[in-house]
Order: sequence, then structure tokens, then C-alpha cells
Amino acid sequence: MASVSFDRISKKFDAVTVVEEFNLEVADGELLVLVGGSGSGKSTILRMVAGLEDVTSGKIRIDQRDVTPLPPRERDVAMVFQDYGLYPHMTVRENLSLGLRLRNVGRQEIERRVAWAAGMLGLEKLLDRRPKQLSGGQRQRVAMGRAMVREPLVFLFDEPLSNLDAGLRAQMRIEIGSLQRRLKTTTIYVTHDQVEAMTLGDRIVVLADGRIQQVGRPIDLYRAPSNRFVAGFIGTPPMNFVEGRVASDDGAQVFTAEAARVRLPEGGIAAGVLAEPVTLGIRPEDLRVDPAAAQGESLLGRVVLVERLGGTSHIHFDVGPHRMMASVARDGMGGVGESITVRVPVDRVHLFGADGRSLLQSSQ
Amino acid sequence: MKFFGRFALYAGLALAALTFIYPFLWMASATLKPPSEVGALSLIPHQITLDNYRLMWARAPFGRALLNSTFVATTITVAVLVFGSMTAYAMARLHFRGRAALNAATIAVLLVPGQLTLIPLYTLIVQLGWIDTYTALILPYLFNATAILMLRQFFLQIPQSLIDAARMDGMGELRILFTIFWPLSKPVLSIVAIFTFMGSWNEVLWPLLVVRDQQIMTLPQLLTVFALGGGAGSVGVSLAASMVLVIPVVVAYAFLQRNFIESMAGTGIKG
Repeated sequence: MASVSFDRISKKFDAVTVVEEFNLEVADGELLVLVGGSGSGKSTILRMVAGLEDVTSGKIRIDQRDVTPLPPRERDVAMVFQDYGLYPHMTVRENLSLGLRLRNVGRQEIERRVAWAAGMLGLEKLLDRRPKQLSGGQRQRVAMGRAMVREPLVFLFDEPLSNLDAGLRAQMRIEIGSLQRRLKTTTIYVTHDQVEAMTLGDRIVVLADGRIQQVGRPIDLYRAPSNRFVAGFIGTPPMNFVEGRVASDDGAQVFTAEAARVRLPEGGIAAGVLAEPVTLGIRPEDLRVDPAAAQGESLLGRVVLVERLGGTSHIHFDVGPHRMMASVARDGMGGVGESITVRVPVDRVHLFGADGRSLLQSSQ
Repeated sequence: MKFFGRFALYAGLALAALTFIYPFLWMASATLKPPSEVGALSLIPHQITLDNYRLMWARAPFGRALLNSTFVATTITVAVLVFGSMTAYAMARLHFRGRAALNAATIAVLLVPGQLTLIPLYTLIVQLGWIDTYTALILPYLFNATAILMLRQFFLQIPQSLIDAARMDGMGELRILFTIFWPLSKPVLSIVAIFTFMGSWNEVLWPLLVVRDQQIMTLPQLLTVFALGGGAGSVGVSLAASMVLVIPVVVAYAFLQRNFIESMAGTGIKG
């Protein structure tokens, strides 16, 4: 078990900067999720921890030891790959044990560890099969088993579930989570899927363009995104955004845009943003269909589409030129083309400046 | 109608096949005929004799030449596979300065006909004092640009995650090449092996240039010297020597071809 620390890590491929000034401490036993779109640098960071990619500048420490110049085999980390990386010409048993054999671990110890991992992952009956004879989920388990038998200081997961279908992905996500809690091994998990990030991570790091956008517990990122990117990235369905300005109305601050006028929480924002272009953010699940909602706390729209998912419904509606969506438990009798009044709870509103930064530091 | 069409097709194919195989069968049968019968076109000898082989063996050191050829062709094949795949691995999967130039240079080598380098190479061998040595027969063939490019092309298709996984498991590059890439590259290794072995086995011109000592001569060279130089004394004996030359190639081809087809059918590269 070990902590991982990133000390001003940068990575350049020729002239292109992929990761810039990455600073982070991963605590012993923590499951940290790196999440971001493609090109955000998340996989590169993981590969630098593994030693598969050189660091342009900065230091990576595992358990206080500087591993930056070390090759992968001397770092005591194990990695699970997106396409599993299983050796096709070897059996499951050989795949699991190869890393140990190369480290001259004794035969009995190898057998013990392989049996332990196979037992934990339900692979006992598959040990003599080749990867080709396994399903996607089974291959994924073998890949995890290969990392487990090594008993490394740190687990690295590089989008391990993205090759699986939706049902299996949900199941494997739960398995990975419970496995990590049992083993208590420090884990860095890379994904582009924010649901995986929210459900698995002790903490989440949101990345864009090689820079950290926000670090925090999943619920903190959801409730108080520090900028517009994080607000749009975390949460499904994604947050609604409306471009507009802040105006003063009898001493109270209001957000105004074409066909929309929403009161803002008192004392939440600096005076300097008056008349500056801003973006209002509100999550679909925070909106309520409420014909009785007061003016200044509601939006008037026209329904363009209703997606009924059973438990909830997604109502897509236009407020003037702005397309928005509300996720509600019951959509009433509202049909396409009808008018709709949607209540906007003042305490759930987010506001972002022209540079994307959150202007409501006290939000929720 | 359908049956007739199919029949005509097979008949045509059989005829075409016969035109290829007849000379070979005729040669095989002629080696077993006495001199009086050799000229006949029939495939079945009236009288079977092994005299041709006996005479051939007595008149020139064919046993020694067979060993020489086996040694030279095997050494070259192994070297082309080992060095070729090492070069190809580096060119396909490692990042280093000058990689693109190396690629271009390898392709450029293919554009130069072998005949062009024959004289300079010969001069070099003379200067180095390697005439009448195995070194002269083997050294110029240890690297092969075609093999490198074929292997490189194949290696490019192997998923990066296998290399990454192997590095995480603690392997160095050579180990990755020989324990991960080689087993996955059986099809292309077989093809390269077949072509290299046959090319080397059948090579006549180069040995004729650099070897004059009968003890070092390869089989096709000795055969050429023997048949053209009049050492054989009769057509039957010449043909017997040709049989000795061709049989190992046929055997090697049959063996490797099976391996090759199995590999093609058996290994999916994807994990």
C-alpha cells in the first residue's frame, strides 16, 4: 500500500503539451478517478505512473520513492488495459502467472496467488483456457487477476470497461469497486464515463486539455462545480446552460436573457459582474414543472419533445431561443407544442463568468 | 449442364497441372532408368536401377555438398528470422531518432538489383580473404530487406497493449519480441523462412563466384559444375543429382506450408 504524489508533472509530445503542471496527492488506499474527454491527458498521466511514458518534467513518487527514472518493472505497479492486453497464445493461468515467474517468485507462492485471484474473480474453471475462448467480461476479470496476483503498491486502470456492453459494464463496475475496497490497494482509475467516475471514485479529478479542472469528492463536484466545463461534464443528463447577463432589480440581482429572467441568490456574486456576459446553469433534475411558480423563479417554455423513461421523463422545451431539459418524476399531461411553466429553485442555480469560472462560490 | 461445366473445369485444371508436374515426374523416373531408356517419354521405367545415384555419389562429393547446403541455408534462414525480426521490431514499435530514415533506407535497398552489388561484394570478399570459406557464402545474406519489411508490416498490427502489458510484467524488449511477438507471428515467420531457405538453397551464382574448393561447394553449385563441366558423364546421373537437390526443398516446403496454414487459421492476434 502506498501513496502516489505528482509533483508538477508535464508531458510534451514534440511541440504539443499534453499534460501541464499536474500536481496531486493520492492517499494510501484511495480510489482516485481521472475523468475527461479524449485528449484531456488522463491516459497519459496513468501511463506516466506506469512508466510506459516518459515524464517531460516533474517527479512522480510512489510511497515517498521517486520512480520517475525507473522502468515499469521496477515501480511495483500493475495495470489493467482497455483492450485487456492478454497474451493470446497463453492460457489464463499462464497469463496470470507470467509476471510472477519473471520476478522469480517461487512456484508454490505463484500457485497460491493464482488460486487466490482466480477464486476472488470466479476464474477457477477457466484457468486452462485461452483468452479467445473467453467472453469480454471474463477477459476483463483475467486482466484484473493479472494485476492482483502481483500484489502491487498501486493499481492502474485504463478505461477498463469501455469495451464491454452496458449491462456488463454496470456489473463489472460494482465488482471493481467492491474488490478495491476489500484489497484497499491505492488505485488510479481512468475513464471518460462520468457515471463510472461518480460511482467508483473516492475522489475525482476532472481534466481538460491536460489541466486539472477540479478535484473533489463526487458529490462536491456535482453540487459545486468550480467551472462550466465541470458543470457540463459531471451529471447525467447534462446541466442546462443559458447565456445572458446579470442585472440589478431593486437591489436584488437577476439573471436576464432573451425570454428568461431568474432571480439569483442574495449576496452570492461580486458587483463587478453586472452587465458582463454570464452563463446560467441549472441541472435538469432541479427543475420542476409548476404552473403556480412565481415570476423571477420560473421559466416559460414550449415543449418540443418528451422522453418517457418510465420512472422519470425528460421534457425538452424551448425558452425563447434556448433549448432546455427538465428531468421530472411525472410529466403531467404535457404534450409537444404545449406551454410549460418550470420552477427554477434559486438555491440550485449555478452561474459562470465569461472565462467559465463559477461566480457563486457559496453555491449549495 | 452444370455437371458438364464442372467436369470441363476440372479437366482443364488437371491438364494444366499435368504440364507442370510432368517434367518433374519424368525427371524422377528417369533417374531410375538405365542409360538406354533415359530418352523415352514414358513415366514408368521398364527396368529399375539405382546406378545413376551410385555413379553420382562416386564421381563428386555430393554428400559433403548436401551438408554444406543444409548448413548454409539453415544458418542464413535462422539469421534472417532473428536479426530481421529484431530490426523489424525496432522499426515498428520503438521510438528512436532516425527511424523514418531507416525505413526509407530499407525500402531503397529493395530497389537495387542484386546483380549490381555482385562485383563490389565479390571484390570485398577477396580483399577480406574470405574466398573459399563459409563466411563468404553466409555473411552477405544475414540481413534481408524484404524480410524486415514483411515482419515490420506484421508487427505493426500487434496491439500496443500487449507490449505495455509485457513491460508491466517485467519483460525487456528482446523478451517481448521472442516470447510475445514470435508466437503471434508464426504466419509471417513461416513465409519468410520458406522464401529465405529456398532462395539460399537454390543460389548458384554467388557460390560460383566465391567458392572453388569442392569441399565448400553447395549442392546446386556442385551440380552445376558437375553437369556443365561434363563430370556427370550421362544425363541420368545429372538428373539424379538434380533430384538430390530438389527433395529437401520439397520436404521443407511441405512441412512449413502445413505450419503456415495452421498458423493462418489458428491465431487471431486480438486478445
